[in-house]
Amino acid sequence: MKKRLLIIGAFIVLSPVLFSFCGFYVSKADGTLKNKTSQVILVRDGNKSVITMYNDFKGDTKDFAMVVPVPVVLRKDDIKVVEQSIFQRLNDYSAPRLVEYWDQNPCYGNKEEDKMSAAPSANEVVVTSAFGTKRSAKSVTVEAKYLVGEYDILILSAKESSGLKNWLNENGYKIPADAEEVLDPYIKSNLKFFVVKVNEKEKQKLNNNFLRPIQISFNSPKFMLPIRLGMANADGDQDLIVYAFTRRGRIESTNYRNADIVSNRNIPLFVQKNFGAFYGNLFTNQWDKEGKSVAFLEYAWNVTPINQMKCDPCVGNPPTEQDLVQSGVWWLGGKDWNDYSDVDNDEPDNGSKNVHFTRLHFRYNRKSFPQDLMFQVTPNTLNYQARYIITHPATGDFNCAAGKKYLQDLRQRRKKELQELTVLTGTNINNWQDEATAKNDEETNVSAQYATLLPQVKDEMENKENMPVGILLFGTAMVAGAGLMRWKGII
Amino acid sequence: MHCLGFSINIYFQVVYYFLTNELCNSIGRFILYTNSGVMHLLNLFKDARYFQIIFQSIFLSYGILFLHWRNESWLYATYFITGLAVQFVCEYFLGKKNVPFLQRLKNGIPSVLISSFGLSLLLKTNYWWVAVFAAAVSILSKYIIRINGKHIFNPSALGIVAAIFLTGNAWISPGQWGSGAVILFGVLSLGFIVVTRVQKTDVSIAFLGTFAALLFIRQIIYLGWPLDHFIQSVSTGSLLLFSFFMITDPKTIPNHTAVRIVWCIAIAAVAFYLTAFKFMNGAPIIVLVLAQPLVPILDKFFKAKKFEWAKPKAYTAEEKNFLHVVYSRSIM
Repeated sequence: MKKRLLIIGAFIVLSPVLFSFCGFYVSKADGTLKNKTSQVILVRDGNKSVITMYNDFKGDTKDFAMVVPVPVVLRKDDIKVVEQSIFQRLNDYSAPRLVEYWDQNPCYGNKEEDKMSAAPSANEVVVTSAFGTKRSAKSVTVEAKYLVGEYDILILSAKESSGLKNWLNENGYKIPADAEEVLDPYIKSNLKFFVVKVNEKEKQKLNNNFLRPIQISFNSPKFMLPIRLGMANADGDQDLIVYAFTRRGRIESTNYRNADIVSNRNIPLFVQKNFGAFYGNLFTNQWDKEGKSVAFLEYAWNVTPINQMKCDPCVGNPPTEQDLVQSGVWWLGGKDWNDYSDVDNDEPDNGSKNVHFTRLHFRYNRKSFPQDLMFQVTPNTLNYQARYIITHPATGDFNCAAGKKYLQDLRQRRKKELQELTVLTGTNINNWQDEATAKNDEETNVSAQYATLLPQVKDEMENKENMPVGILLFGTAMVAGAGLMRWKGII
Repeated sequence: MHCLGFSINIYFQVVYYFLTNELCNSIGRFILYTNSGVMHLLNLFKDARYFQIIFQSIFLSYGILFLHWRNESWLYATYFITGLAVQFVCEYFLGKKNVPFLQRLKNGIPSVLISSFGLSLLLKTNYWWVAVFAAAVSILSKYIIRINGKHIFNPSALGIVAAIFLTGNAWISPGQWGSGAVILFGVLSLGFIVVTRVQKTDVSIAFLGTFAALLFIRQIIYLGWPLDHFIQSVSTGSLLLFSFFMITDPKTIPNHTAVRIVWCIAIAAVAFYLTAFKFMNGAPIIVLVLAQPLVPILDKFFKAKKFEWAKPKAYTAEEKNFLHVVYSRSIM
């Protein structure tokens, strides 16, 4: 039996990613999708933090274990297990989205429609290890020991890293070789270690085949997520999605640059079939372009329960007050859901019940992220969403003057869409040949089909690539000519 | 700098020699005019503040061009317009009456631009009224909160702190520069020192040196993080911006050299404590504002010459001669 260790932000993936979009599955062979994604819910107000860690462990629960550095010794009340579905709901609600629009035929009236579709970026996470015999080693203190839900929880403090390492090894945790470089600074920063394994008896009582997310809360001025420990036992890039809730506004990273992922772009119609892959490509391309050490903002919205407008358009249902309380938004808690006596008696809106939602997407590796993620709550309350637009062309005859004009505009627009596609995803226009020529477009006028426009765009883009050379040659010729004339005394 | 001035004079003599020896054709005339332009520019830039403005505008352009700050252009415009407007009003009502109004206005504009750039590079907000408030506080503080003819608070630092704590709708983004900008920052900041040879380089070095040394001791020697962890901490653009362009304001630091250095080290130490142990963001700016009321007291006990911005120097004989030739030729 292979024993491994699960650490926050250090999730190793066993199963491939499943992108579900309108019944289409993105092929596994695509290679651009990240299948190492971990998810964390962060709730922060004042000095209090609530952290919920997604647990998608599949396999023998005896193999599961997890170590999380925490700033204080947690009490039993500070540790909870919550429903797993909350992560799916938050992801569905905040994922990058595709919006559909329909053109009207200018020659006669047409139906007007506006639908939206979602492309959830599916996230797979997690893994493994086991408790063995328990024997305390020197310099490691077991500060507390709890049984919460299906988990056995220990809180350790240590005086030196080698002691902690030995203790973990003796107790059946396989610590990665270079974890020590990180353990030492954590111990000296006075962090405690939150160690989790599954209690088999309690697990059997639950009668379900997954492990529920663990939620911890504590008071500390430190607003951070320890990712460094996770890097020790993982190679390559890891994705992390942070869903954050605050009372004041967005959260942002203080030690890495924050960037908004490009949004509100018109992209070709055929991307609809493959939006998951499109967004995967786009993210990778943006991540490269922005220099990798970046926190990408994918979503920011005021989701206060009394606030009506929670998204535009909505991809999934906005989180309800119950969802938010589940996620750890404690300032909404304390309401009895069967008591309707206060229905007419709305509390004054003094901002004390405000909830702002931020979704940050990190892709980290050891080189680009030498420090743990530090955050701050800002008063920035602007809404933001990663949103891409496809437009269905009008159909029918375009024999009137306005119709001809429309066709011309449509050709121009679609050319732009194709160019945008290559710019956003950083791919060559040739890669989209198959999608563009696939039979999905035949209702469109032939002259405006992507298959017709693609070669034209290709030509235009190739010509553009030659432009700098052209300018250079032209410039050289001008200078040479001027020099010649000067030499001959003409000027 | 003296050496540079000397060689410029020699250069002008050489150009003059060629001009007077009838070598002045169309190209010669071109050289002549560009040289006179350069000379005027050099004279203008004897005031170090112009260099500061140029460097700050490079940083802002970098942000707008490469870090997607274009959406915030309205914010920068608000800072600048408010700053200039408040200066106009303050000069009109509160300025020294013995200097003509326009002259006072002209002398004050570089400082207003520097303060506005300081706000643009550090302070973020979503509301125009917060931006107006921050810029107004910055400039007003220069005219109202004064002791012994020196204003007490660094204008942009006070504007930032007031906007953050009084309105609650502004914030600093320490990570906004990313780590890619560090090389640019390092080179330009060093360039700034070399070019302006400001008397106040000691301030930057004392602050940055102490802050970085304490961080190094804490992160590398005590906690045992790898080196890149430390580099990530000190390579934030906001810290370099603060050390080279904010704390250096010669009007708001002690006049006496030794006192000045001790004062900077103390600010660095307190800022380090707040950053490393209290996890406060933007600690150096807050500490600076809190420490500035001490400056007049320190100045009282430790007497030293008061700082004045360098006055534009009169033209030397060579330069005058050269200009004379330029003007006479241009009449021809």
